[in-house]
Amino acid sequence: MSLRALLARLRPQRTIRPTRDGWWCLGAAIGLGFAAVNTGNNLLYLLASLLLALIVVSGILSEQSIRRLRVRAALPEEIYATRPAWLGARVLNRKRWLPSYSVALEAGERRLYIARLAAGAERLVTWEATFAARGRQRLPGMRLVTRFPFGLFLKAGRVVLDDEVVVFPAVRPLDAAWRRRLAAGSTRSLRRRGRGHDLYNLREYRAGDDYRLIHWRSSAKTGTLTVREMEAETATNTRIVLVGDGRRDAARREAALSEAASLAVHLLAGGAAVALAGPGLHVGPGRGRAHQHRLLTALALYDPAITGPPAGRRTAGMSEIEVALG
Amino acid sequence: MTPFESRALTAAIYLLVADGVAALYLGDLLGLPGFLLLLALVAGSWWQEPLRRLVEPIPRLGAVLVGLAGGVLVVEIVTAATGMLDVFTHLLIFLLLVKLYTLRSLRDARDVTFLAFFMLVAASPVTTSVVFLGLFVTFLVIGTWLLMLRHLLYEADIMAGPTGRIGREVLRLALAASVVTVLVTGLLFLLIPRIGQAALPLRPNVSRMIAGFTERVQLGAFGEIEADASVVMRVHLAGLSGASGPPERLPSLRWRGIAFDHFDGRVWTVSRSTLKLTLRRDRPVPFAVHRYYGGPVLTQEIYLEPIESQMIFGAPRLLQLDTRSDFVTIDDLGNVAVPLATARAHYTVESEPEADDPRQADVADARLPHDPRWQARYTQLPAVSPRIRALAREVTTGSRDAYDAARRLSAWLGREIAYTRVLERPSVEDPLEDFLFVRRAGNCEYFAASLAVMLRSLQIPARVVNGFQRGEWNPYGRYYMVRLRDAHSWVEVFVDGAGWVTLDPSPRAGAETVAAATPALLWLDSMRVSWYRYVVSFSLHDQLAVVETVRRSTLSWSAAALRPGAWRPGSKLAAAGLALVVALVLAVGWQRRRVGAGTEMPAFYARALRMLARRRLAPGAGETAREFAARVSAAAWAAPLAQITGAYERVRFGGAVLAPEEIVDVDGALARLALAVRAKGT
Repeated sequence: MSLRALLARLRPQRTIRPTRDGWWCLGAAIGLGFAAVNTGNNLLYLLASLLLALIVVSGILSEQSIRRLRVRAALPEEIYATRPAWLGARVLNRKRWLPSYSVALEAGERRLYIARLAAGAERLVTWEATFAARGRQRLPGMRLVTRFPFGLFLKAGRVVLDDEVVVFPAVRPLDAAWRRRLAAGSTRSLRRRGRGHDLYNLREYRAGDDYRLIHWRSSAKTGTLTVREMEAETATNTRIVLVGDGRRDAARREAALSEAASLAVHLLAGGAAVALAGPGLHVGPGRGRAHQHRLLTALALYDPAITGPPAGRRTAGMSEIEVALG
Repeated sequence: MTPFESRALTAAIYLLVADGVAALYLGDLLGLPGFLLLLALVAGSWWQEPLRRLVEPIPRLGAVLVGLAGGVLVVEIVTAATGMLDVFTHLLIFLLLVKLYTLRSLRDARDVTFLAFFMLVAASPVTTSVVFLGLFVTFLVIGTWLLMLRHLLYEADIMAGPTGRIGREVLRLALAASVVTVLVTGLLFLLIPRIGQAALPLRPNVSRMIAGFTERVQLGAFGEIEADASVVMRVHLAGLSGASGPPERLPSLRWRGIAFDHFDGRVWTVSRSTLKLTLRRDRPVPFAVHRYYGGPVLTQEIYLEPIESQMIFGAPRLLQLDTRSDFVTIDDLGNVAVPLATARAHYTVESEPEADDPRQADVADARLPHDPRWQARYTQLPAVSPRIRALAREVTTGSRDAYDAARRLSAWLGREIAYTRVLERPSVEDPLEDFLFVRRAGNCEYFAASLAVMLRSLQIPARVVNGFQRGEWNPYGRYYMVRLRDAHSWVEVFVDGAGWVTLDPSPRAGAETVAAATPALLWLDSMRVSWYRYVVSFSLHDQLAVVETVRRSTLSWSAAALRPGAWRPGSKLAAAGLALVVALVLAVGWQRRRVGAGTEMPAFYARALRMLARRRLAPGAGETAREFAARVSAAAWAAPLAQITGAYERVRFGGAVLAPEEIVDVDGALARLALAVRAKGT
């Protein structure tokens, strides 16, 4: 057994800290104990014993409340830098008979309170968090705490949920220049309804249609509200190439990675196959949600320390967009 | 906070306050008017919201009211408080009322709980009543409930979340917690070491003045003596060695207090020349009082209520005394006194009961001293009426010895003179002459004084003794309850070879008809004694005794357990039953653990089973996951299934939590399994 494992085993399962009320109670118990010893009065001994018993019972009940609670992370599949994400934890009461009362998941100032968790029940608690940067990020870590039953002591379990998560680069809507560039050069229409730019058909307005799609001239001619239906369009299959290593200017590098991620998401949403290449980095062409996850993971884990030419080869029939890391 | 929770919290606060106020009243820290006034003020605070709405519009009125009350408190403390405890009590009441009239937040509820608790603290040094136990338990139950409810509401309040409608559940939980708290309190009370004695008296005078027993005998008073049924002493007969039969059956049991050697014609007192010896104890050993003559020894454990006396009572002849006090004063009359610091005394004495016929005793230490001063002291008399001397001679004519003469005189008094508690104004100057020849009736003091005087007139050493009669036997607590009305006077006469011997000339027992206490009263009194014995007067000695008892019991049990042949009948059956119960508990616990471990099937394994079910593959009854994986090992999905099964076993039976990489691996295995299951021809 390694030293670290040994120390981890020796570390107490719980930490206990008196609250302000707890300090009062301890002070009163000590004062009464002093008075009892000084006077030899057994009723004072009895009252001092009561305060000490309350402390003992508080320890028993709080332990009963916090024991056999399992906390499991319930994290979203995709977490983007600078965008609020809802993180979650599932708290399961594994006791067979006894409910848990007044427990909270606590991380710093944040407290997620559960008034009662029945035996065998599970409760999902969620909170919002925003990660400032992409890459592997460690969750702040939470502890199960309870002040039950009297609010005299704060009992806390070990830190849980301090795992690492992969935070994708920030994905933003493409600016007008990018949209024009993609629309001019590399999009193609499909002969079906969609959200493209070319007109597919005109039809009568139906409740729920976007007002912006009303074709006013036709509506004036026919006397009935008429709306445009647009053609679906898809972007051209594209290989995004990261150029440079971005070691000199971290801000520019991160902006470039964010831009690459935004491009990838936009293109994939348009139905295109997207590949990614960069220094020590290669993701082959693909479509769909799983592929988007792979692309964003690669971008999230991009390490500027790795240098070299972009890995992988250009695939035939794919256009190429270069993104300069600086 | 729901209306139910709000009502429950308010009710708990006021119940707790009522408990605290009752404790103050019990401890006599509040008189009846003060108690009623305080209750009225507390009840008035129930409507504090409308009152506050009235007060708040007027600027600074609230502050002025609190300031005025504070001023009154200061004046009251300076002028009326008699000790630190009174100051503390008044301060508590003031703070309580301020809190109740400004009660708003849950934090105020906590403050009120603390104040009510300190009311019990204030009462504790000045009461020993068993009612305190009731108030204590009430406080414990309501306080536990209040603290628990307050905590849950406070947490829900700061988290802006619901309490989950657990208000009623808290009541049940609080009751269970109270039971545990009572048990733990009792255990801690037993275990906290007792050291020290009173060094900081919180209230100087807590004993009460009672009549009945006095440290002198005065004749000539008149009027009716009221029979007070208050219990002043409880005598537990702890043991009788050197004699057969239960100790409570011993004849002529009485509790000697003080003996008098000097008579001035009206008053019996202890003469100034009495030799007094103050003993200081360095070690925890009993004080020796009287020489042991070799007879049976009766051990008595005595609980003495506060009476205006420092005398120690016990069956005559007192051999030794064990008390908390380190100082004892003993004089040559056999009177023992201790400075009683506490309100109630508890001590143990050993006595040597007198023999039936003292003339048969021949103890060298009990020979008649040939010291003329000693003789003069115990035959001292003022000018006594010649009629009394003549009567003494007449009654004792033909007596064989001094003891025979004493018995004749005692019997004559009991036969010829009537006992009464109605004392009339003496018609002649000498009260004894009036008693013997005019009224021919009187109480026990007259009987004792007459006998002693007549004995002394015959030059027989005698002295008058004050103490208590035997009292009423309480079968529930196995002790004698001695009441105020049992106060009694008798005579001790010196018998050569036997020492001082008790003679009681009073025919009181036949004259008085006292109704015995009902069983319920006896039981209540026994409970009161238990409270005092095991709580109020619990001492280091008792603690050591408990430890010793536990140690001995453990040793004897363990020794007996190693010798099954020596077990008592039925023990083997009990041991077998116990072993069976333990085995059952262990088996059920193990089964539960096993079942408990299996209640949660990891989702990934359930998913794998669902996939396999499409191919009509499922684990058989009683088939383990590993056996199932081995059974289907020939198929294409064997490898991913084996990987999933391994992860499943670690999660379900090893309690492991999969690392992120492992989750990815398991996901991969599931994907491969899905492909293999969907593929045709497998």
